[in-house]
Amino acid sequence: MTAVVETSKLSKWYGNVLGLSDVTLEVEPGISGLLGPNGAGKSTFLKLLTGQIRPSIGTVRILGQRVQNNPSLYSRIGFCPEHDSFYEDMTGWVFLTSLLKLHGFAPAEVRSRAEKALEIVELSADRDRLVRAYSRGMRQRLKFAQAIAHEPEIIILDEPMNGLDPLGKRKLIRLIKAYKEEGKTVIVSSHVLPEIEALTRTIILIHQGKIFARGDIHYIRDLIDTHPHMVAIKCADPRGLAAQLLSEDYVLKVHFGPDARSLLVETSNRDRFFARLQSLLVKTRMEVEEITSPDDNLQAVFDYLVGK
Amino acid sequence: MTAGSAADLRSFLRSAGRVFAVFFPQGRKARRTRSFFLFSFLPVAVSLVIKFNQIFSGKPGGGNGYLFNNLIMLFYLQLIILILALFYGTSVCSEEVEGKTLPYLVTRPVPKAAVVLGKYAAYTVVMIGMVTLGLVFSFLILNLDRLLDPAIYRVLGRYLGVLILGVMAYGALFTFLGSFLKRSIFFGLLFCFGWENIIQYFPGSTQRLAIAHYLKSFLPATSSGRFSILTFHLEPTRPGLALLMLFLITAALLALACLFFTKKEYILDD
Repeated sequence: MTAVVETSKLSKWYGNVLGLSDVTLEVEPGISGLLGPNGAGKSTFLKLLTGQIRPSIGTVRILGQRVQNNPSLYSRIGFCPEHDSFYEDMTGWVFLTSLLKLHGFAPAEVRSRAEKALEIVELSADRDRLVRAYSRGMRQRLKFAQAIAHEPEIIILDEPMNGLDPLGKRKLIRLIKAYKEEGKTVIVSSHVLPEIEALTRTIILIHQGKIFARGDIHYIRDLIDTHPHMVAIKCADPRGLAAQLLSEDYVLKVHFGPDARSLLVETSNRDRFFARLQSLLVKTRMEVEEITSPDDNLQAVFDYLVGK
Repeated sequence: MTAGSAADLRSFLRSAGRVFAVFFPQGRKARRTRSFFLFSFLPVAVSLVIKFNQIFSGKPGGGNGYLFNNLIMLFYLQLIILILALFYGTSVCSEEVEGKTLPYLVTRPVPKAAVVLGKYAAYTVVMIGMVTLGLVFSFLILNLDRLLDPAIYRVLGRYLGVLILGVMAYGALFTFLGSFLKRSIFFGLLFCFGWENIIQYFPGSTQRLAIAHYLKSFLPATSSGRFSILTFHLEPTRPGLALLMLFLITAALLALACLFFTKKEYILDD
């Protein structure tokens, strides 16, 4: 797949403070989650991508074009900033149509695009209210609307779910996923792990201005050799199962649950472990209630990588 | 000019026009515009007081041209347009930074310089609308008994021209200050009521370092009288040169503002 966003040795200093260090990556169409704690460099990275700041070193190319001093590229990029800031004296409608006018659309097209975007974010009924009277969730949705109203190919969202209630978050997640289905590229930043996890499995982990890892979350998890994989099994005879598993060299530890019906296995090779488990279960005809991987999620990967 | 650069210029002007189309209605409807509109009508109130005084005291209004030139115009040139230009000019860039709305503008397909020029033009037209209306009313009130004399309208045209040039030049200056200074209002006030109001009265060529000098060079010469302190030491520049200087000052300051806004990285405080 062709990379839509390419960065090479991208670094940014704010005086003596390092914002981003030596980031070389490619982002392909689909949803990419930019994940990191507050102050990790997510916003700096997104500002560099959108040309709001210049790199100290390195380059950014979007759709094969340079970003700096290339305003025409912005008709293909939609950006939702992190700050909860608006032209407060405008109504939602005026805010949206004003920004669409800057794209040079004809008045009729401005209106139809604004109507469509407001409909998507379910703000049509509130379009004539002043933005200052909007709730936090409505403001977030309006910010999202201005990022998508001109139908860009790349949508860059900086913490778009801040301030949204669970229902609002679910709706936004569904919307973002719909853009993925249309073949668009969406880059979403967040410091909240479950938000990213609900959106995508393709993540970019950023911490202290550096990219710690990128790719599929499972792939990244597999690369972490210093931490064994955990597999939790609920079955009728956990001790019997454990006895058979412990003979394998890739099974490192076994913990039994207090309910006497579960065990937690630590393994250095997840694929071999699951193959062996499958054959054992078939051979012994043991009934298993549940098999889960408690550390095969973003939180665990993130904690491992940042050394928690 | 090559065909490519002509197309670039047309595209740039279209972008600036789009920015103007967005910010002119906003500038017109802004709450501060209502306050400044009232403020710019202060000379109208002064003119009314003078006129009523003349009517009720039975004094003729023969000296009203002098009064207008040395009181009302100075009121506009040394206070009203300075204050308006200070607040509107500095806000061209700084309101986007302080309000953290800058990302909405700089991630649109318009050059950053077009954002500055479009907003500057929008706010300048708003300011011109306010001050010219007040000036016309003041002038007509003080010349109530000569309304049928075509000569007064030529004078009015000149006053309007001076005011428009003043708004443009000061607006450009404060747009420039707002593009790179954090406390641009403070420094703007220092400039208005420090530099401009002092330097213009210096003898010799020093007074040419004030924008007010070139504006006052267009005003009709009047003999010093009761208001001699206000016109003392004025050594006017020829109108043609004054006009050229004002255009050059405006263009240079706007070019600098565009350059700063394009090159500077604004950090939006959390």
